[in-house]
Amino acid sequence: MTATPRLAMTDVVKTFGPVRALDTVSLEVGANEVHGLLGGNGAGKTTLMNVLFGLYKADSGTVLIDGKAAVINSPKDAIALGVGMVHQTFLQVDTYTVTENIVLGTALEGGSHSNGLRAARERIVELSERFGLEVDPDAVVEDLPVGVRQRVEILKALFRGAQVLILDEPTTNLTPQEVDALFASLRAMVKEGMSIILITHKIRETLAVCDKMTVMRDGARVQTLDRAETDAEHLAAVMVGESHGSYETAAPSTAVALGATAEGATHKQVVHGDFAPAIRIESVTVRNDHGVDLIHGFDLTVGEGEIVGFAGVAGNGQVELAEALTGVRPLLSGSITVQGTDLTRAQTSHWLSAGVAYVPEDRHRDGILPKAGITENLILGSHRGRSARRAGLIDWKAARERASVAIDKFSIRANSPATRAGDLSGGNIQRVILARAFAHEPRLLILHNPTRGLDIGSTRFVYEQIREAADSGCAIVVISEDLDEVIAISDRVIALYQGGQAGEWPSTEVDPYEVGRRMTGLSTSRTGGAA
Amino acid sequence: MSTMQKSETGPGGSPPVAKPEARGPGILTNIAWTVVPYVASVVLAFFLGGLLIQLMGYNAVDALRAVLTSSFDTSFGMVETLHKWVPIVLCAYAFAIPLATGKFNIGAEGQMLLGATGGAAVGITFSDLPMVVLLPATLVAGVLAGALWAGIAALLLVRFRVNEILSTVLLNFVSFKLIDWVATRVWPDAGAGHPATTPVGDGARLPLLGSAPAMHSGVLLVLALAIFIAVAMRFTPTGFEMRAVGDNLRASMVNGVRTSRLAGAGLVIGGGLGGLAGAIDVAGVHGRMLEGMQSNFLILGIIVGLMARGSMLALPVVAFGIAVLEYGAGTMQLVSAVPVEMVLVIEALILLLLLLSDLVRDRLRSAR
Amino acid sequence: MSEFLVLVVPMWVVFTLAAQGTILSGRTGVFNVTQEGVMALGASVGFLVSYKMGSNLVGLLIAFLVGALVGLVLAYMTTQLRLDQFVVGLALFFATTGAAGLLYRQVIGVTMTPPRVDTLPKFEIPLLGDLPLIGDALFVQDYVFYFAVILSLVMFWFLQHTSAGLDFRSVGENPKAADSLGINVTWARTWSTVVGTGLVAVGGAYIPLPFTGIYTDGMIAGRGWLVIALAFLGGWRPLYVVAGAAFFAAMDVLGQKAQVLGLGIPHQFIEMLPFVATLLVMVFALRWARQPAHLGMNYDRESRLVG
Repeated sequence: MTATPRLAMTDVVKTFGPVRALDTVSLEVGANEVHGLLGGNGAGKTTLMNVLFGLYKADSGTVLIDGKAAVINSPKDAIALGVGMVHQTFLQVDTYTVTENIVLGTALEGGSHSNGLRAARERIVELSERFGLEVDPDAVVEDLPVGVRQRVEILKALFRGAQVLILDEPTTNLTPQEVDALFASLRAMVKEGMSIILITHKIRETLAVCDKMTVMRDGARVQTLDRAETDAEHLAAVMVGESHGSYETAAPSTAVALGATAEGATHKQVVHGDFAPAIRIESVTVRNDHGVDLIHGFDLTVGEGEIVGFAGVAGNGQVELAEALTGVRPLLSGSITVQGTDLTRAQTSHWLSAGVAYVPEDRHRDGILPKAGITENLILGSHRGRSARRAGLIDWKAARERASVAIDKFSIRANSPATRAGDLSGGNIQRVILARAFAHEPRLLILHNPTRGLDIGSTRFVYEQIREAADSGCAIVVISEDLDEVIAISDRVIALYQGGQAGEWPSTEVDPYEVGRRMTGLSTSRTGGAA
Repeated sequence: MSTMQKSETGPGGSPPVAKPEARGPGILTNIAWTVVPYVASVVLAFFLGGLLIQLMGYNAVDALRAVLTSSFDTSFGMVETLHKWVPIVLCAYAFAIPLATGKFNIGAEGQMLLGATGGAAVGITFSDLPMVVLLPATLVAGVLAGALWAGIAALLLVRFRVNEILSTVLLNFVSFKLIDWVATRVWPDAGAGHPATTPVGDGARLPLLGSAPAMHSGVLLVLALAIFIAVAMRFTPTGFEMRAVGDNLRASMVNGVRTSRLAGAGLVIGGGLGGLAGAIDVAGVHGRMLEGMQSNFLILGIIVGLMARGSMLALPVVAFGIAVLEYGAGTMQLVSAVPVEMVLVIEALILLLLLLSDLVRDRLRSAR
Repeated sequence: MSEFLVLVVPMWVVFTLAAQGTILSGRTGVFNVTQEGVMALGASVGFLVSYKMGSNLVGLLIAFLVGALVGLVLAYMTTQLRLDQFVVGLALFFATTGAAGLLYRQVIGVTMTPPRVDTLPKFEIPLLGDLPLIGDALFVQDYVFYFAVILSLVMFWFLQHTSAGLDFRSVGENPKAADSLGINVTWARTWSTVVGTGLVAVGGAYIPLPFTGIYTDGMIAGRGWLVIALAFLGGWRPLYVVAGAAFFAAMDVLGQKAQVLGLGIPHQFIEMLPFVATLLVMVFALRWARQPAHLGMNYDRESRLVG
């Protein structure tokens, strides 16, 4: 490394309440360098970059830019110091042109507004040609595809004179061609002396474009590697935690620990063919909120009593898959049959009465009525069912009694069934949602990140409930970003990558490294797993 | 565009809940957290109103005493108060029921006038029919006319996505002209000295209870209706769905509630209740449809609807409180010469302070 | 025809002032629904000050200040306290409606013959004022008319042709994006609501000034709500609002004159026209009328990180 690096962050600490999100993290990035920042969910990559961009204030630690101490209290300070950031969600005014979006908030030069815009437009054209960021400066951004809007976001930073450019998971919604073009642009930028920090989880892309890479895990830096010194296998191993010793001892996650201690030993060891099919999904296509057909031609059969786990990094179609399997998101094409009933075009309520239950990822937004009591929350969805009513009216007395039973059975910590759901803690809210799902006597249960943010006791409880339901014949789909969790509880593990199935293994033959490789987009395999 | 960050919900996105699982507050504590800020807001609003009255050069104590007590001083006052309570509570339902589904019905006065017109039309046209037939027909016609009028807004909303706030408001002004035409051209009463229809048949009049002062039986009808609505909102699946949608639209949808259909239904039901207010005032108070009978019941209904904070049980009680103030306003003007508008200002103050009290309460709660 | 235009132009001034005030704050995302009350308050205050001070100009200025004060309350409660814009707006509508009548009753009391203020003098623009048909209507007018014309042009220029206007509009389209680029969302929303609500009040205060010189309760008669509809139909653009205001004013005058027109249909049905026409136009307007993407939505900076 030559003299002073472009950027040096030293011993950065950031806590959120009792949680230490960044634990004395250091990072050095030189000029002419694309630096990959790798890690799983919650590793602290984005938090670290939010500190650099002034969105978070660090508790301690220093930031040097070109050797000088930098005080960054807001994005404005960061921009003034030549730091630019491209977020995952673009902050653009849909109705403005590309040029208008780029100049927004800057003081235009050239006397009049129209002269200033004209001068800015020329500079944008010049920048976009120089770095291969092809874009029509007069197009209205709402008409542009995601890839082009991303270029606008990069140009926004360049227009403000960014020398350090942060990109947060930039390839998530891009086509392979767009990814190639983006990487070519990044190389062109670093050639001119810029520094680029690429937040990512995709190993192959990292290797394709980065000069150096820093791997983070649990809020700490694990290792910084040179592109020349590493390969995919090595990087995957560092990401999963091999460098700290064996897999189990290095990451004694609750899932693995519980999987080994709870029912893991006695849990049925079965192979796919043993189950009678409960749900058939045939060539299903689903559109995401950005208008992309993220899930395309998806086939899946889940058997009665089978637990199928989808492992993957967020943003690879998890939400879309979960909502398609529960009748919440309409299918563009394909069909879904549950227990012989075709539910492809059915109302959500029909899915519920057909025995489909959903434990959504976003508990607060999709899961509960915050101002209503536990009783109301438990009956929601089955309130039109015959068992909930007496003489046409909802039988609240019976509902309250059932709620009391559920509070006991699911160990929900609340004073009474009347306690408002919004006053409960995250773990107890999840118990309420689980209680509701199981009260429907589900034939198919879809769980999305069922234990995120829960303590060990609650996590263990969730696993026990899932197993119990499976033993009674319910088909279960667990979609989780916690690989250990998926491996610990599933009969069959499927790696989800960009909306597709990147590999499938029966629980007896799962190799976590192989799953990790597949879910980060690596298709070459060391051991040649099933696919 | 999704507002949630999809991939990385690290400590920044949603801090993991690490606080010890505190036991939820008890029912009594919950009630205290609701009642205390409420009472404080009302008291403070009266204090500010009193200050204003004093500053304007009147005797605040006398004025406020007149506002608060004249309903209870005489039985005549109580009957008048209850007669005011009927349209206020019905217009409040007309606002609050659509609001439960997240829609704003600002058209209760138009729906009330149409209801009055529908009721008067039946009461005049079939004036010879006996009461057992004519009275129910009059009231039902009022309900249907009000529901139909609100149905225009519901149709515009569901079919053309026209903002229901504007459509319901604009329909009010259309209704003013419509009833002016009815009162001056269709069934005009030339001797009335004010645009009004001819009287409805005796069979269309609500029976009076007691004597001098007599209360019309519509009060009891609405009381029964209030109980029915509270029960229906609590015990019917549709009532439950309305409350659920108002609480969390996404969670309701995920759990199988058809949210847009519910919104249209809420408007139509609200309109029907507004229409009933008109029909009852025709059948119980005026004996005819007359211009200006909507008074300021729209505004009062909205105030009550907002003050009840979504509780169908609290709504009739709040409406009674407002009816007391409204009756007292007239006495206040007589006794203290304070203009009646003062009461509207106080009511608006209560509403604003209630909104502010939410913030204060939340801050106090989280500081505990 | 010329006579009709002479009646329409003052109504055009009323609709234009109030609607420009409405779209000014709307463009930063503050959905103001206090018009019906604020116009009444403006009319009441403007009248009373004019009456007591003998100056229409002072009356209009004080009306502006009172409206601005209401706007400040609305802005503070929605931007700082983040209370629901519509509910706060309704409460302020009630309060200002009550205050309008209260003030008039307090100052004037109940009288047999209502007091009058002087109507506004008209200025003739040389030569143009002599034009046939439109000369009297457009070039022999009072200063408020000319103010409304200039205001509309200035707003158009500001919003569409300045950098500050570009920044300003972005606050209503995507406050998060604006904030991320250093644009002060709270400040933009606050000043636009203060000035905008002041203009709404001036629109109300102007109503008695061209002809009658008299204040009466209920003289706003739904025009405040029509102003909101006008803002929507005008796509929250100053020049479209100018055109739309002419349509609304024409409908308004037609309704006022319905009784003397004698068209063979009951006059009430002509009086409905402004409202029915507005409803009908709204059905079709959605195809072309845009609105600021964050109109009516409060901005919470804290949620910045999850966006």
